[in-house]
Amino acid sequence: MAQNRSVSITGFGIVSAIGVGKQETLDSLLSNRTGIGRLKYLKTVHTEFPVGEVKLSDEEMERILGIAPGTPATRTALMGMLALHEALSDACLGRGDLLQAAFLNGTTVGGMDKSEQYYTDFIENDTRNEYIKSHDCGSCSEMTADRFGRFRYITTISTACSSAANAIALGGDMIRAGRADIVVAGGSECITKFHLNGFNSLMILDRELCRPFDATRAGLNLGEGAAYLVLESDESVRKRGVKPIALLSGYGNACDAYHQTASSPDGEGAYLAMSRALADAGLAPADIDYVNAHGTGTPNNDVSESQAMIRLFGENMPPVSSVKSMTGHTTSASGSVEAAICILALRNGFVPVNYGWTNPMDDGIVPNMELKPSCRLRNILCNAFGFGGNDSSLILTATD
Amino acid sequence: MEEMILKLKQEIIEVLNLEDITPEDIDNDAPLFGEGLGLDSIDALELIVLMEKNYGIKLQDPAKGKEIFKSINVMAEYIQKNRTR
Amino acid sequence: MLQESRVNVLSVKQISIQKPLTEEWMTNPEIHTENFVRAIDPDFRQFISAGDARRLGKLLKRALATSLSALHEGGITNPDAIITGTGFGSVESTELFLEAMIRDGEQMLKPTWFMQSTHNTASSLIAIHTQSYGYNSTYTQKGLSFECALYDAWLQFGLDRISSALVGGHDEMTPEFAGFMRKAGHLLEGEICSEAAVSALLSTREQEGTKALCTVAGVEVLDSPDAETLDHAVRSMIAGNIPDAVLTGMSGNATNDGYYHFLKKTLPEVPLLRYKHLFGVNFSSSAIAFYAAANCLGKGFIPPVLTLTGESVSCSKGILLINAVEGRHYSVILLKPLCGKL
Repeated sequence: MAQNRSVSITGFGIVSAIGVGKQETLDSLLSNRTGIGRLKYLKTVHTEFPVGEVKLSDEEMERILGIAPGTPATRTALMGMLALHEALSDACLGRGDLLQAAFLNGTTVGGMDKSEQYYTDFIENDTRNEYIKSHDCGSCSEMTADRFGRFRYITTISTACSSAANAIALGGDMIRAGRADIVVAGGSECITKFHLNGFNSLMILDRELCRPFDATRAGLNLGEGAAYLVLESDESVRKRGVKPIALLSGYGNACDAYHQTASSPDGEGAYLAMSRALADAGLAPADIDYVNAHGTGTPNNDVSESQAMIRLFGENMPPVSSVKSMTGHTTSASGSVEAAICILALRNGFVPVNYGWTNPMDDGIVPNMELKPSCRLRNILCNAFGFGGNDSSLILTATD
Repeated sequence: MEEMILKLKQEIIEVLNLEDITPEDIDNDAPLFGEGLGLDSIDALELIVLMEKNYGIKLQDPAKGKEIFKSINVMAEYIQKNRTR
Repeated sequence: MLQESRVNVLSVKQISIQKPLTEEWMTNPEIHTENFVRAIDPDFRQFISAGDARRLGKLLKRALATSLSALHEGGITNPDAIITGTGFGSVESTELFLEAMIRDGEQMLKPTWFMQSTHNTASSLIAIHTQSYGYNSTYTQKGLSFECALYDAWLQFGLDRISSALVGGHDEMTPEFAGFMRKAGHLLEGEICSEAAVSALLSTREQEGTKALCTVAGVEVLDSPDAETLDHAVRSMIAGNIPDAVLTGMSGNATNDGYYHFLKKTLPEVPLLRYKHLFGVNFSSSAIAFYAAANCLGKGFIPPVLTLTGESVSCSKGILLINAVEGRHYSVILLKPLCGKL
């Protein structure tokens, strides 16, 4: 039956505050090194907020990518291109392979980094019209993908912080339904003044390094990044003679239906997303070896998500950690950035640490603080919960 | 104080876009959140912005808002004591 | 892909530059001559209390009103899936937040504007209002957004995960953004810049007391297809059964209309229809096309206002919908009458 068709992951690429590419990212995770620090690249008055920026300027990214100076490019698209380049190389996909493939991109800010800079020009003159073209999310996805070839289908998912996770889930669905054999799915998001100020107006940013699941947590730190997974059907894997590096064995999507910017106290949406993912994968809670939590470090998310996990796992809580005190909250890209980190954990046998945690919550989980090198992880549950209660969970499984 | 309370009510109605409400509809001692006007956490954030914009009072901790926005009277008293504009 | 159960369109509701929540445009359309026209709004108080409405911009009010209306008519309270497409999201809130940020030096900004400007606000608002915990997603792919949402619903039905879905296409405009649409080439010479909100309720189950409008027989979306691929996509969609008509996104602009010329070869005898002269152009135009076609099939006739010839066209075999987004993306959707065979 189509439902049970296995979805292989044959490659991935990642860019975030803790590294450009898989190797740097792995090194940071194994060294327990945070990428959060003082603002360096974004031009804003709000330098009081620690952020997890990708350690490259736009110009540096353009140089790496070989993009001619003066070519219109937005930061979200540039980061996306870096990650996409790595993913396609990793999976040995050439231009010709993309013609029947789909590109599914999660982003909510799109080209806003340039729009907010040139907004006055947009209105008053015609000097920056190419950036009006790149403002919307769909155009951002096209800008990212077009560099590498023509896909058969491109779409953009904008479900706030679960965008990339939903892109990956959609990719799984397309393969299971026989609508595509190769899907490149994930997301990209750069920090913009727009959402830095937006989150600040909601008063959920911490002026200190964020502390997910810590009793003293006071908010999140914004991050930025991009990551893409290459998903393939069994037939495609066989035909191309490639070896899967992990499996996307299940995923779940639910709506918390509670509030536009806050999660329900009992974490109903989170609980449903995780439960649906388990059911989809045909797994029980006891089969999960590690949970990569959404864990933003806000008072609200961490208690809500904790409640959901307690409901699901009861006494048998697997190791749980949030990597957001290392990468920052990469918003729309977080689902794929963290899925990529989960694949690194599966392949290299370690459990990411909840960096910076010290004080247990009264009403929350106690996160994992040990790397556990050489451990063998089989199934990882990866959560991504967005504003508006758009809650999604992915299950990544080791190949034999 | 009465004048200031009327002005405050008008500002609240405007900033929260309470189309069907007039200043006369808002009881000075009635709770603003939960029951009464039935405002929520986003409205509280909007009132924090209002306090800074119109009265120069900067509130760093959103949790403090709960006490200050208990009722119109409580809010007006707080503003009177702390305003810089 | 074969659907095991039929996906029926129970109801589709619109708010646009034609009279809202009615099909009066079929016989007595509003005629617009300006090049930027805002939607005609219903009295939202019949759907949304003043208290709830306080935090909702136009796009969100319209999304909610059309959704509640479609759900009510279709007799479903909690759809299994809520999936929305929007090209630009809540433009008004985005603009207000952006302008305030630039003007006031990033200080004292209103959280409500920021909240509304995230594109998934419509999907989540509907879920919150109806207390629906099911599948929920939002697509932002310019003028293809609605079809991407529909395609996802189609996949979910095909995988037997859902038996009902509320699929929406919502876009609003401001004078500023209307200018941007033209500067960026999203809107061409002679096209009316407009707004649209459309909510369609789909189901694979029989609803008591409700007669569905039509059946969705297929959904396909393509990026940069060549002529051969397009031709093939249409032919496999119709599977030898010539439809009554093709509803196109022709707008009177020569460049845009050129994207539909392939139909002369692929479906030479089939009457072509257009709707943009009545509803204008925006990123949710294709949702309006879906609405128009579904209602034509429901009523069993295609009114002269949609045809190129000004004559009525019968409606017993089905309507093919083709949307070309700036000559790059294409969607192909086939809607059939209820009595038609798959």
